[in-house]
Amino acid sequence: MMMKKIVLLSSAAISVLTAAAYKLPEQSVNSMALSAAYVAHTTQADTAYFNPANMAFMGEKQYLDGAVTLINLPSIEYYNIAKTKEENIIIPSLHYVSAPMGDFRWGVSMVVPGGLSKRWDEQPGKLFAQEFTLENVELNPVFSYKINDQFAIGGGLRVVYSSGVVKSDGRDGTPYPIARDMKGDTFEFGYNLALTYRPTEDINVGVTYRSNIDLEEEGKANLYLGSIGTQYDASVTVPLPAALNIAVSKTWDKTFTLEFGYERTFWSTYKQLDFQYSQPVTNPILKQAFDNPIPKHWKDTNTYKIGATMVMDKITVMMGFAIDETPIPDETLSFELPDSDAKVFSMGFRYQQTENLSWGAAFLYDAKEARSIAKGVSDNPVINANGASFSGGGAYLTTLGLSYEF
Amino acid sequence: MKIKFAYLFIAVSAFVLMGCGGADSLDQPDKEEVTGGEVVVDFDAQTMRNVLVSKEAIPADYNKPVYGYKAYKIPYETTDEEGNRIEVSGLMVVPTGVPEAMKQIGFSLVSDSHGTIFANAEAPTVIAETTNSPDGAPVILTALSGFVTLQADYIGFGDSLGHYHPYLLKSSSAATTVDFINAARAFAANNGIPLNGQLFVTGYSEGGHVAMAALQTLENEGEPVAFAAPMAGPYMLDRMGQGVLASNALPVPSFIADVAYAFAVRYGVNVDTLVKEPYASALPGLFDGSKARPEIDAQLTHVTTDLFTADAINRLTSLDNTYWFTQTLQLNSTAYWGPQTPTRLVQCMGDDVIPFAMSTGTASVMRDNFGAADIGVIPVEVAITGDVNTSIRLGHADCATPAYGVVSKIFADVRKATIGY
Repeated sequence: MMMKKIVLLSSAAISVLTAAAYKLPEQSVNSMALSAAYVAHTTQADTAYFNPANMAFMGEKQYLDGAVTLINLPSIEYYNIAKTKEENIIIPSLHYVSAPMGDFRWGVSMVVPGGLSKRWDEQPGKLFAQEFTLENVELNPVFSYKINDQFAIGGGLRVVYSSGVVKSDGRDGTPYPIARDMKGDTFEFGYNLALTYRPTEDINVGVTYRSNIDLEEEGKANLYLGSIGTQYDASVTVPLPAALNIAVSKTWDKTFTLEFGYERTFWSTYKQLDFQYSQPVTNPILKQAFDNPIPKHWKDTNTYKIGATMVMDKITVMMGFAIDETPIPDETLSFELPDSDAKVFSMGFRYQQTENLSWGAAFLYDAKEARSIAKGVSDNPVINANGASFSGGGAYLTTLGLSYEF
Repeated sequence: MKIKFAYLFIAVSAFVLMGCGGADSLDQPDKEEVTGGEVVVDFDAQTMRNVLVSKEAIPADYNKPVYGYKAYKIPYETTDEEGNRIEVSGLMVVPTGVPEAMKQIGFSLVSDSHGTIFANAEAPTVIAETTNSPDGAPVILTALSGFVTLQADYIGFGDSLGHYHPYLLKSSSAATTVDFINAARAFAANNGIPLNGQLFVTGYSEGGHVAMAALQTLENEGEPVAFAAPMAGPYMLDRMGQGVLASNALPVPSFIADVAYAFAVRYGVNVDTLVKEPYASALPGLFDGSKARPEIDAQLTHVTTDLFTADAINRLTSLDNTYWFTQTLQLNSTAYWGPQTPTRLVQCMGDDVIPFAMSTGTASVMRDNFGAADIGVIPVEVAITGDVNTSIRLGHADCATPAYGVVSKIFADVRKATIGY
C-alpha cells in the first residue's frame, strides 16, 4: 500500500514533457541526459526499455539501474487571467537485464511512460480542467535474441496500470453552474518490438516500436448542476499512442558517440474524448457539457533528437537536444492540456565509482513555445469566443541514478 | 545472489502493479436531507446572478439583490373532481443567501399557478428534476423578489400522471392549489424555512383561472390573502367557449379540445357528442401527458365545424342554458363571485388567445354584480411603459414574462408596506 502511494504520488502530475502531449520517453539518467536520443547506442540496464534488442550485445553480467527524477512544471498562463498550479513531482524508474542464456536474454523495466496533470484553480480554466490527471505505471518484461554479431531482435509485453482524475467546476464565477468529478482506473496490455543492426563495431542502427494502448479508465463520475449531483458508473478512453523510433549512432575511438534519432508518435488515434455513463444523462445541460463526445483529431508527430556521449576515464559526459511537435490542432486545444511545440535541451554525467557501481545525474529543460489561438476557430466555447494565449509552461527535470553490474 | 536480485525486482514490480488495482472510491454527491420532500434545484446567489446576466435577463451592472434559488419537490394529497384523495406534487422555491434580517422576519408566500401544459415534461417538478435548473416564474418571484414561490403540478401531471387533467375544472383546481399551500407551510415548518404568514395569489392563463378559484376557496375558508393578481385567465368559461366556437377557425385547437375532453370525462358525457370522430377517439391518447401542444395540434383540425359537432356549436354559441356543457362551463367559471381580497386582473391588451375584455368584463361583473371589495384591471403594456396611450401590444405568450414582472412589483410593494422589507 505504501509503495502504491509512492508510485502514484510520484506520477501524479506528469505533464507536457519532452515528448509532446502526455508521453514521457525519458526513464533513466542516460536517456534524460541525451534527450531520449538513446535507442541505437544504449549501455546500461535501461537498455531493456529503450532497445531490448541491444541487450544481446551487452556483457556477460547482470545489470541493474534505478533512478529518481524530480520534475518541476512551471505554471501555464492563460492571458493574464488564470494560470495552472506549479507542480513538483518525483518519478522513479527501475530497469534490470539478466545474464545471457545462450543467444537469449531477458530484462524488465518498471517506468512511468506517460501522464498528465493540469490543475486550474481559476476560471475559465477551472470550468474545463479543475484537475485533469492521468497516471500510468508500466511493467515491461522483455527478451532479446542474438541472431549474429551484427543483428539482434527483441520484444516484450507492456503491462500498464493507469488511473485518471477528471474534475471541472464552473459553479464559481461562470454562467455555467456545472461540475464533474470522475475517478477511474484500468489495467491494459500492449507490446514492444526492437531490432539492432551493427554493420561495423562503431555503428549501431536501432529500430523500436511500442504499440498503442487504449487506456479505458473505468470508475465513478459525479455530475452536478448547481449543488445537485448524481453519481454514475463511468468510463473514458484515452490512448497511450504507438511510437516508432529509428536511430543511428556512430562511435569514434570508443570514446565519443553521436546518435541521431527520429520518433514518429501516432497520436492520430486520439480522435475524440467520449465519456460513457452507466445510464443516460437526462439533464440536457449536463448532457451537452459532459456526455457529448469532445472532438480531438490529434495529429501524428515527429520528434528529432541528437545526443552526444563522451567517455573519459571514470566520467562519462552526455548532452542532448530534441525538436518536438505538439499533436494538438488549434481547433481542439483546451485547458486540460494547452500544449505547444518545444525544444529540449539536456545534459548529464555518469561517474564510475567502482568496477560494479556507477552513479550519475542529468538535467533536462523542455522549452515550450507560447501558443496563441485566434477567435472563432476553437471547439472550446471560451477559447472560441475569446481566443487564447497560453504562455509559460515547459518543464525542468533533474534525475539522479545508480547502476550496478554483477 | 544474482538470482535474488532478479526475483527482488520482479517481486517489487508485481507488488507495485497489484497494489495499483482499484481507483480511490468516489463519494456519492452530498445530498441535503429534508423532511417531506427533496431538493431538486440549488443555485447559490452568485450563480443565479451569473446565469441571469449571461442570459441577459438582468444587466451586468444590476444593482439590486439577486437571491439564490433552492427548489423542493413536495408530494402531498388533494381531492380530485370525483372526490377521491390522490397523491400529487408541487414545487416550492425558496430564496437563499438572503440578509439575516429577512430570515428573521420570514418569507412571504406566492402561490403561482402555471399556464396550460399538455406534456408531463412541462410540469414544474418534472422540469426541475430533469434539469436541476431554475425555470419560469420563480426566477422573477424568488430570485429577484425574495418570495417563496409555490407551483402545483396540477392533477394529471407530476406524481399524478395517469389521472386525467381536470382542465379548467374549478373544484379540483382550487383544491390542488390550496392543499399545496398547506403542505408547503407544513414542509417549511418541518425544515426550518421561515415564513411570515403572508400569502399572495397569482397565476397565468389557465393559472389565472386556477388562482381565482383558489382565492375563492381561501376566502371561504377564512384564509387571509394579502393581495391577488390573476393574469390572463379565462374567468368566464361560458363566454370564452361561446366566443371560440363562434369562430370558423381554431388557431390552437388543443385548448378547446382539452376543455371538451376534461368536461366530458368529469360529467360522464360521451365526448363524441362534443367532438367529431376521428378526433373524439384520439383525445385520451392526445391528453395523456406524453405529448406537447404542437404535436397535439398537428393531429387535430383547425376548422371549428370539422372538430366540433353542430349540436355543440349551436347550443354553446347561443348560450343554451339547458345544455349541459353551457351549464358546467358557467358552474366552473371563476368570475361570478365577489372577492374581498384586494385583487388586480393583470393582462396584456394585445392578448391573442384570451381577449383583454375577459379581464375588464370579469372585473365589472365582480364589482357590479357580486360586490368585490377592491378590484381593478392592470394592462401590462401600460404598466411597463407608464404610458396610458402606449401603442405597444403583446400577445398571450409574449406577455407572460412582463406580466410576472408587474405582479412581482405589486406584491413587493405590498410586502414592503406591510411586512417592512
